[in-house]
Amino acid sequence: MLETVVQAVINGLLIGGIYALVSIGVTLIFGVVKIVNFAQGEFVMIGMYISYFLATYFGVDPIVSLVVSMPVLFVIGVLIQHFLIRRVLGPNDMPQIFLTFALSLLLLNLALLLFTANYRTVHTSYSDEAFHFGGLYVPEAKLIAFVVAMCLSGALWAFLHTTDLGKAMRAAAQNRDVATLMGINPNRVFCVAFGAALALAGAAGSLLMPFYSAYPFVGQVFVLMAFVAVVLGTLGNVLGALVASLMMGVAESLGIQFVGADSGLIVVFAMLLLTLAFRPQGLGGGRMR
Amino acid sequence: MADLGKWKWLALGAVALAALVLPQIVTSSFAVDIFIRILLFSFIGVAWNLMGGYAKQLSLGHAAYFGLGAYTSTIMQIDFGISPWIGMVTGGIVAALASLPIGWLCFRLRGPYFTIATIATAQALMLIFLKFRDFAWGAEGTTIPNLGSAPLMLQFETKASYYYVVLGLLALALLITWRIERSWMGYYLVAIGEDEDAAEAVGVNAPRIKRDIYMISAFLTALAGTFYVQYIYFIDPATAFSFNISIEAALVSIVGGIGTLWGPVIGTVVLETTSTLLQSWLGSSTGGIQLTVYSLILTAIILWRPTGLMGLFNEAWQRHLGRKPARMRTSP
Repeated sequence: MLETVVQAVINGLLIGGIYALVSIGVTLIFGVVKIVNFAQGEFVMIGMYISYFLATYFGVDPIVSLVVSMPVLFVIGVLIQHFLIRRVLGPNDMPQIFLTFALSLLLLNLALLLFTANYRTVHTSYSDEAFHFGGLYVPEAKLIAFVVAMCLSGALWAFLHTTDLGKAMRAAAQNRDVATLMGINPNRVFCVAFGAALALAGAAGSLLMPFYSAYPFVGQVFVLMAFVAVVLGTLGNVLGALVASLMMGVAESLGIQFVGADSGLIVVFAMLLLTLAFRPQGLGGGRMR
Repeated sequence: MADLGKWKWLALGAVALAALVLPQIVTSSFAVDIFIRILLFSFIGVAWNLMGGYAKQLSLGHAAYFGLGAYTSTIMQIDFGISPWIGMVTGGIVAALASLPIGWLCFRLRGPYFTIATIATAQALMLIFLKFRDFAWGAEGTTIPNLGSAPLMLQFETKASYYYVVLGLLALALLITWRIERSWMGYYLVAIGEDEDAAEAVGVNAPRIKRDIYMISAFLTALAGTFYVQYIYFIDPATAFSFNISIEAALVSIVGGIGTLWGPVIGTVVLETTSTLLQSWLGSSTGGIQLTVYSLILTAIILWRPTGLMGLFNEAWQRHLGRKPARMRTSP
């Protein structure tokens, strides 16, 4: 019994690392640019397809293809911020919500047209390997994904706290007007934030590829998790999103283990509704950390 | 504007007359089917627009009420033999009541996070109806018995009869919107939509107004749910709580003109016609093409004409009258 619980917690933490990459991206964009990117899941999907095609046609290991998917998505992010998002920043929610929502619909349906709804998988030498500790086992692919995800999250945190650009980002998140007065170029900061968030989503896609199938709707799974984690971890709080994502992964895994295989989403919605009912401000503090 | 007023009533009369005789002139069942789709989604759009357009509470979870309406009337009909006409109204009441706890939760969040919370509640309801097969047939759904010609059971032999039912629903929704638009409530809604904090500061009871308009919007959306499953003789959670219903409700309003009386109708006519043309060009419905085009239209509207097609018409009309184009009252 205890072993089953520990195993479920391990599985949850491992997938929670991937959720963290997606939710940190969502919360970073929300904190700095003050919009919610409904298309974040679709960029995970794009990351997965990039890795899939590199692996299938050039034999590149999906984890290694991270060095392609991250920069490509960073550039896409900068372009989207500069040419689309910038035009709708303002006091009104409607254009912001529905622009990123339209982007999500567009990317999803383009993927459906170009790649069909087929599931695509990449098989690596370590896809079926696992480390065994007594009765517990840790799949190798998931462990690598988790470790890389945590390193990337740590790198982002260090970037936000030690570099000038990172500090400028946090300043812009706290008060855009004052930051502008201090000589920070808001559009530049927004472009970097959007690009970095998309690069994280691309990394999540590449890391998923050795043990998860790519298909056009795959992003929806992760973006829903990310939205709940971002509410749970307080909007705009990077550390909160990270902790909440790991919690969500564990909660989902425990739900699957003890309630039923298809109860993962129910657990997610229950957590969202409980959060809204009892702690709508989330578990973290108000400031961007 | 007396000049505009006279034209408005004439145009309204012409549109109403055309709508009434249309199925008598164009009788092909393919065409009437498209007209019914247009009227149905216009109706859902008008219902969404009450809350999403005027008060700018941008829900992407109206499928919740569509599904509740559909399931309430179907359960009443199949398990208890009660006419779907009664089921339709009951479904509306169930949806309006359900909007109270859902609204209580979702209105705790504002802006985009309100939108996300509404998506989650609609998905959660779909999961509930998928899980509990005891009272709602689970994932397989059920066919609704075809009784032939049974107007009292909301079943007709000709498509034209369904056409007139949904035309009546749309007329009802437009009338309600028109009355609300002109009442104190309409002004409160627009005030909340413009700036909720400012509206509250001048004494608008925003939580109450939002609750009330959400109930009306949910009630109307549920009527559409009953109509739809009676029309296609089938119900399952994926149809009744389809995310596409939520998307279309919002899309037709935004493309047509958010927060305007006729916006959702114009938006639906344009989007549905586009989709029909695409399908006839490309033969069978190629997966993804319809929503790809919808999302491009939506992007174009948001970037270049956020007041939607109504805003475009309004400017053209003002220019025709030789005036400087005025900004619409409900600029987004």
